[in-house]
Amino acid sequence: MIAVALLVAIAVIRAQEGASPAGGYGPGGRGPSPAQAAAQAAAAKRGETIFKQNCAACHGEDLTGGRGPDLIRSRLVRHDKGGDSIGPVVTQGRPDKGMPAFPFSPEQISDLVAYIDSELTLFDLHTRVPGGYPNDIPAERLATGSAEAGKEFFFGAAGCSKCHSPTGDLAGIAKKYDAPDLEQRFLYPTGVPDTATVTPPDGKQFNGTLLLNDGFNVAIRGDDGWYHSWPAKDVKVEVHDPLAAHEALLQKYTDKEMHDVFTYLETLQ
Amino acid sequence: MNRIAPIMAAFLMIAWAACAQELDPSILAQPPTANWPTFNGDYSGRRYSPLDQINQNNVGSLSLAWAFQGRTPSLETMPIVVDGIMYLTAANQMWAIDARTGRQIWHYQRPGGVGGGNKGAAMWKDRLFMTTPDDALVSLDARTGKLLWQIQIDDPALKAFGGMAPLVVKDHLIVGTSGDTADLPGFLLSVDPMTGRIEWRWDVMPKPDDPAWKTWPHNTDVVTRGGGMTWLTGTYDPELNLLYWGTGNPHPVENGETRVGANLYTCSIVALNPDTGKLVWYFQSSPHDTHDWDMVMTPVLFDGTVDGKPRKMVAQAGKNGLFFVLDRTDGKALVSEAFVPANWESGFAKNGEPIPRADKEPQPDGVLVTGGVGTNWQAPSFDPETGLFYVNSRESMGVFYLTMPGVHAEGWAGRDFFLSSKSMMKAIDYRTGKIQWVRDDPGRGGASGILSTGGHLLFTQDGSQNLIALDASTGKTLWHMYPGGSMNTGPITYQLDGRQYVVFPVDSVVYAFALPAR
Repeated sequence: MIAVALLVAIAVIRAQEGASPAGGYGPGGRGPSPAQAAAQAAAAKRGETIFKQNCAACHGEDLTGGRGPDLIRSRLVRHDKGGDSIGPVVTQGRPDKGMPAFPFSPEQISDLVAYIDSELTLFDLHTRVPGGYPNDIPAERLATGSAEAGKEFFFGAAGCSKCHSPTGDLAGIAKKYDAPDLEQRFLYPTGVPDTATVTPPDGKQFNGTLLLNDGFNVAIRGDDGWYHSWPAKDVKVEVHDPLAAHEALLQKYTDKEMHDVFTYLETLQ
Repeated sequence: MNRIAPIMAAFLMIAWAACAQELDPSILAQPPTANWPTFNGDYSGRRYSPLDQINQNNVGSLSLAWAFQGRTPSLETMPIVVDGIMYLTAANQMWAIDARTGRQIWHYQRPGGVGGGNKGAAMWKDRLFMTTPDDALVSLDARTGKLLWQIQIDDPALKAFGGMAPLVVKDHLIVGTSGDTADLPGFLLSVDPMTGRIEWRWDVMPKPDDPAWKTWPHNTDVVTRGGGMTWLTGTYDPELNLLYWGTGNPHPVENGETRVGANLYTCSIVALNPDTGKLVWYFQSSPHDTHDWDMVMTPVLFDGTVDGKPRKMVAQAGKNGLFFVLDRTDGKALVSEAFVPANWESGFAKNGEPIPRADKEPQPDGVLVTGGVGTNWQAPSFDPETGLFYVNSRESMGVFYLTMPGVHAEGWAGRDFFLSSKSMMKAIDYRTGKIQWVRDDPGRGGASGILSTGGHLLFTQDGSQNLIALDASTGKTLWHMYPGGSMNTGPITYQLDGRQYVVFPVDSVVYAFALPAR
């Protein structure tokens, strides 16, 4: 749920070149069946071994090239359909450019192409679809601060300990979330709505989750479980932002303080 | 009156009627009234119409004249209206509808899906043009919606895609391209609207004989790889015969170490000669961008006075949160000012360009960045009567990670996550860059385009999805209506048979509002 909210937020912010075509070409698109997907994954796995042993030295472990061309940006690779372009280059080589021929069987070519396809898909997802890629940033990479300084900040200047406790709500927090997720959550949690106290003219107060407050109308999901709404001009509204402290702190963090807090929270295993 | 005159008038009427539904490109130089014949209404990009039938006194009684159901994924189209016919687009689709009634005249659909969005059509004489998700440019017969020709702009196998609305400049069709998956170089094309023949191509990436070549390192081939996408419609000054265009971010997007230097002509406003495609001047509004801050936002053209001197100007409110006013004859900066808080720059250089902070480039362990996505492609507006530049802005904080360090990086090479953000509409005094008023928006989304009119009104959508009309001088709300969805593009206006319409595409529905019919 929170992940979805985050995706939506990012999609809204990044809605730049319009929805990406990678987002799908509308109805009618069908993905592979689970059996086909498993077969493709197995072929890609076999292809990876072939690639690492034979191709990576020149084309790079990550396919971005080296002595040989970058395959991520290669027009030939991008236009390949089931090995029709890649196959002949591999089996015949490019002697004029220093690429030897590899006497692979059609099955091996097929596995190699499956691997290259999977790498291209991963690369494209990584770059184009916000949140569509795996959260594969390792904790070690983010934990560059001082756990001690982070702890001091947590209990001191930041005021985190006014609401949170490393042995209470945050016990084992680092085990629950992967690194970038944990960092975003402590900086500014998503999916935490404002609450409000609404006072109609008769003075009988309503408390609940704020759903709408656009200057024209006010709506809440009341603590009584019912939906309530009023014209804004008829009521007094007091909004409570449970993230106000996060918002205030967010504007003050130095990058070092962010790294320190992360490094500290990462010790809460 | 002599006896010949009525006969002459009748002849003229017949001659006019014979070509009435064609678009004569010379009307694109006039402020829009009866028509909204191009993406921004006219060449200037002000998105200002002098129409005043709907004004501050009567806007409260606006009522729905008609609605058109697109039955398609959310529309991004800016409708164009030419002689009573409205043309709407979506990915691989175009409609002609009656601008009086909303009734469909024809619908064009080409192979390919309907996801991906399309920002609008262009018209020249009796022909229509649109770009497509597979980065083609198609030309249709405006009478029937039948395909006349199509050309490929760039290679969809390399994840190039289309969607921008082409711009007609005299007898040229100016077309840009999108794509930020793999590294791809951006460019603009001038196309012959009759035949689809490419007349010139201007490349965002410089050639070795260009001084801009020195703004890239040459220990790798990064200068050939690109970025600088041209995915939003530019503007044109017929007197100076200059075409103004904003360019997108360099690649790899969030790795700056592989492309040390300013990286011209990415994230720039460029002025080109539309007949030759030659660069006349440039201003780099975001040098060495590492945060995906495409600076394609509309270069808005207007005349006025700065420091007591009359000036021809071009202004831009950018994705990087900065507002610029330049002399559009030579590109010299007159005003450079932030319109949202920004921590990624350390002020402005003498030439008015911002100085990016190296320590706010994405890092493997993350950096906190403000200022970005200060606004997006949804159009701003400039009202010549108030002298205010209106922009739907966003104040946000993001954390940026470098995930692919080193000089082999390509593509995105990083990740960014936006944490909190607040949207607000701002009115900027172009003389100083100072904010004149802010409409604080309790909603957290919303970034629709803006229209200003001679009725002293602004039309847009707020962050809670209300369509709103505001007092152009103060930002006070004068009319509001919840249409049940999000406007991902901007409103337009036109007057037909003495009745002014204001049109809002919302999700897949197009709503036309007018004063109650008498």
